[in-house]
Amino acid sequence: MNLSMIRYILGYVLAVEGLLMAPCSLVGLIYGEQEGWWFLAVGAVSLALGLLIARKKPSSQVFYLKEGCVSTALCWIIMSAVGCLPFVFTGEIPQFTDAMFEVVSGFTTTGASILNDVEALSHVSLFWRSFTHWVGGMGVLVFVLAVVPLSGGSHINLMRAESPGPSVGKLVPRLRHTARILYLIYIGLTLLEIVLLLAGRMPLFDALTTSFGTAGTGGFGIKNTSIGGYSAYIQWVVAVFMILFGVNFNAYYLLLMRHFRDAFSMEEVRAYLAVILGASAAVFFNILRMSRGVFDALTKAVFQVASIITTTGFATTDFDLWPQTSRLVLVLLMFIGACAGSTGGGMKVSRILIGAKTVIKEFGSYIHPKSIKKIKMDGKPIEHEVVRSTNVYFIAFTTVFALSLFLLSFEGRDLVTSFTAVAATINNIGPGLNQVGPTCNFSFFSDFSKWVLIFDMLAGRLELFPMLMLFHPALWKEGLSSRRERNK
Amino acid sequence: MFGKKHEEKRGLQIIIVGCGKVGRTLVEQLSREGHDIIVVDKDAKRVQSLANLYDIMGIVGNGASYSVLQEAGIENTDLLIAVTESDELNLLCCTVAKRVGDCAAIARVRTPDYSREVGYLREKLGLAMIVNPELEAASEAARILYLPTALEIDSFAHGQADMIKFKVPEGNVLDGMNLITLGQRIAPDILICAVEREGQVTIPGGTFQIRSGDILSFAASRSAGKAFLERIGFKTNAVRNAMLIGGGKASYYLAKQLLNMGIHVKIIEIDRVRCEELSVLLPQAVIINGDGTNEELLREEGIERAEAVVALTGIDEENILLTLYARRVSQAKTITKINRITFQDVINSLDLGSVIYPKYITAEAIIRYARAMRESMDSNIETLYHMFDHRAEAVEFRVDGDSAVTGVPLKDLPLKSDLLVSSIFRSGKVLIPNGQDMIRKGDTIMVVTTHTGFSDIQDILA
Repeated sequence: MNLSMIRYILGYVLAVEGLLMAPCSLVGLIYGEQEGWWFLAVGAVSLALGLLIARKKPSSQVFYLKEGCVSTALCWIIMSAVGCLPFVFTGEIPQFTDAMFEVVSGFTTTGASILNDVEALSHVSLFWRSFTHWVGGMGVLVFVLAVVPLSGGSHINLMRAESPGPSVGKLVPRLRHTARILYLIYIGLTLLEIVLLLAGRMPLFDALTTSFGTAGTGGFGIKNTSIGGYSAYIQWVVAVFMILFGVNFNAYYLLLMRHFRDAFSMEEVRAYLAVILGASAAVFFNILRMSRGVFDALTKAVFQVASIITTTGFATTDFDLWPQTSRLVLVLLMFIGACAGSTGGGMKVSRILIGAKTVIKEFGSYIHPKSIKKIKMDGKPIEHEVVRSTNVYFIAFTTVFALSLFLLSFEGRDLVTSFTAVAATINNIGPGLNQVGPTCNFSFFSDFSKWVLIFDMLAGRLELFPMLMLFHPALWKEGLSSRRERNK
Repeated sequence: MFGKKHEEKRGLQIIIVGCGKVGRTLVEQLSREGHDIIVVDKDAKRVQSLANLYDIMGIVGNGASYSVLQEAGIENTDLLIAVTESDELNLLCCTVAKRVGDCAAIARVRTPDYSREVGYLREKLGLAMIVNPELEAASEAARILYLPTALEIDSFAHGQADMIKFKVPEGNVLDGMNLITLGQRIAPDILICAVEREGQVTIPGGTFQIRSGDILSFAASRSAGKAFLERIGFKTNAVRNAMLIGGGKASYYLAKQLLNMGIHVKIIEIDRVRCEELSVLLPQAVIINGDGTNEELLREEGIERAEAVVALTGIDEENILLTLYARRVSQAKTITKINRITFQDVINSLDLGSVIYPKYITAEAIIRYARAMRESMDSNIETLYHMFDHRAEAVEFRVDGDSAVTGVPLKDLPLKSDLLVSSIFRSGKVLIPNGQDMIRKGDTIMVVTTHTGFSDIQDILA
């Protein structure tokens, strides 16, 4: 295994994270908050350390899938460990486990919090919390790929490990340019949202943090009421942008390239929009009687549906109090998730589509046992490999889910709480139901349960396998032996 | 954050149709040189495996289909290279591409039926280039046989000068001599450009001492090169007869060229039908129907007395064994054709004499074209050759205007290390420079270096 290449990439990620902390210190300066210094200090140390580690270019830049998975998983762990330090140092979240939970929740764009009173945090920390969403949404390694010159082509393995979806393709031949295009679209959409929110007379700080939370489909609010306290206009803007950030970014690229027909005929995006429409309608009629008028019900229904399916997790109302049907619809949406190639989490619409098509095909083979039918997506046959990996993903997902639920059961909480707590973290949503509902938080869990949930968040964001790879004994053996060889 | 200070030169957008061995080599080389590459192949697995290895985009489909080419972005493409198995498909790909997008097109065409009409095809279909690996390999082999002691010859400056590579034999006069002495005593008009010793390629300085076993590459005008080789005790007269084992396309092309030079040719081919075809095509050659790996047959046909043995069968392992056998039983000059491009280190360590890789030669020719195309946008590189399996490069620059490199004696120029100005072409003549010579405006100079990525003459300065 190419350990020095992993080291090189880790170094760069550390350095980039150090730089990303700079805006926080700026916020501290503006608001005159002491906490900013801690961010500056941690950022500077991280930058220096990162550059030191990445100073020596590895002699061989050969990079296989396993290295891609390992470095992605390690990157996210180290990034979170460094990212939570300021919270600990400033004393705002003194417990390391809590701080780690909060930051992992940020980077993985989950948005589950252990804070009882969000408004008590300093502006600096609030900003960093939301900013981690923005960074984690598109992915740190994608960013590194966009700016760091790496030779060779095997770095697609990095992007593959970090980007969500059953199959990761490129927009343009070069990975670097693909990464840049993705980030440019991302930045462009974020800026657009900030402007629209400012137009709704939202304060600049709120507009920035809310946009970061939406863009990464994260869901950290800076108010205890999340988005509930803002005007209907702002709620609609946020709802629309949540949906937009849940769309496969390939669609935007196609739009930019003026391939309108291709963009609008993307099956996954259509299915995604159809699900939103259907779910919103169901919830709308279900909650109509308990809302203040049609518009209010519509706003709430669309916002909550958008918030859950894109796995953002903003709330405008306590949907835990909604009728059972609406609650169930939301739980189902949690598992569907957003489109592949978006910033959202969950299982991804494309996987559900492939799964559904496989089932229909198998169903048909009962009638015509000898029939041969290829599953197609966007008019193109899907390779058997993709179908297989989708099935494997479902199984692995269920297994991890069940194990986590089992580990959480030691807490002795009710099933709805435990179930939705795991669902909300592994799908990177944030709030669940009952004791982890939108008005509650995760602070009451034991440290052990928090670590389980931290793992779930990371595993969910990186789509299971990079994290699970870390537990593969063969990998350790290989890593250790190549290390020994180098020391010789 | 996204702008880059040192933006690399914009690569060409290239579509490569066909992911066979040549396709792979092309992808490897061209992607390393920073071009944007899209590969098209019908086989999803091949596309996938390439896309995993290199920074390229893959499309599964028929490269001659309009919609596939559209998907690959043919409108913005600079160059299309068709290297599928089938000649017809390659030609069709290029024709469609020419119609749809305004790009240069290169096709691989191997069948002799077409290759006789290459000029016509190229002109009528408007192709930039038609490559024929077997023909190129045959030409290379013919050149080697013509100047038998040289391992490899490349001509440049429109054929006026050669870059000749040879191995210093045990006990040669050159053994232990340093380059200054060599220049003063033996050959003032040649220049040793690069040396391979124990697998390391270096650009030697004046104090470099030659040892036996070194592989030297020197630049010289054609006559000077031959004279030099004679002076150091190599026989340079061409072979008089050659035994070709295997009667494929490359064998046919080579036999034709050798017969034209007046060399007797004997071809051993196992397939009777093919033998008959060959005997029609090459009436002057002796065609033997038999198994080339049969020792008895080879002896009967006089392999011990052959002056050249060329192993051209379709199987690499067979070719290697044949060559090793020929070297053991005869004094013949041997040439081995090897199709696969893997295990090069192993092959180099065998005592095979000259080895030719048709796929490499093809890829090389195409890459040279791509380079020239890219460079001609805004630089003054004329041609670029790879030496010693890409470990060194020879670059020809046009010196268009006065700059820091002109008008200064070479010995006073602050040149990069591992770099040598190997020849200067001035008003139609080749000049092998010494320290007193200067580069002048209007010259074309050739630089040999182990650095890569040169685009301008100024790059030679440290």
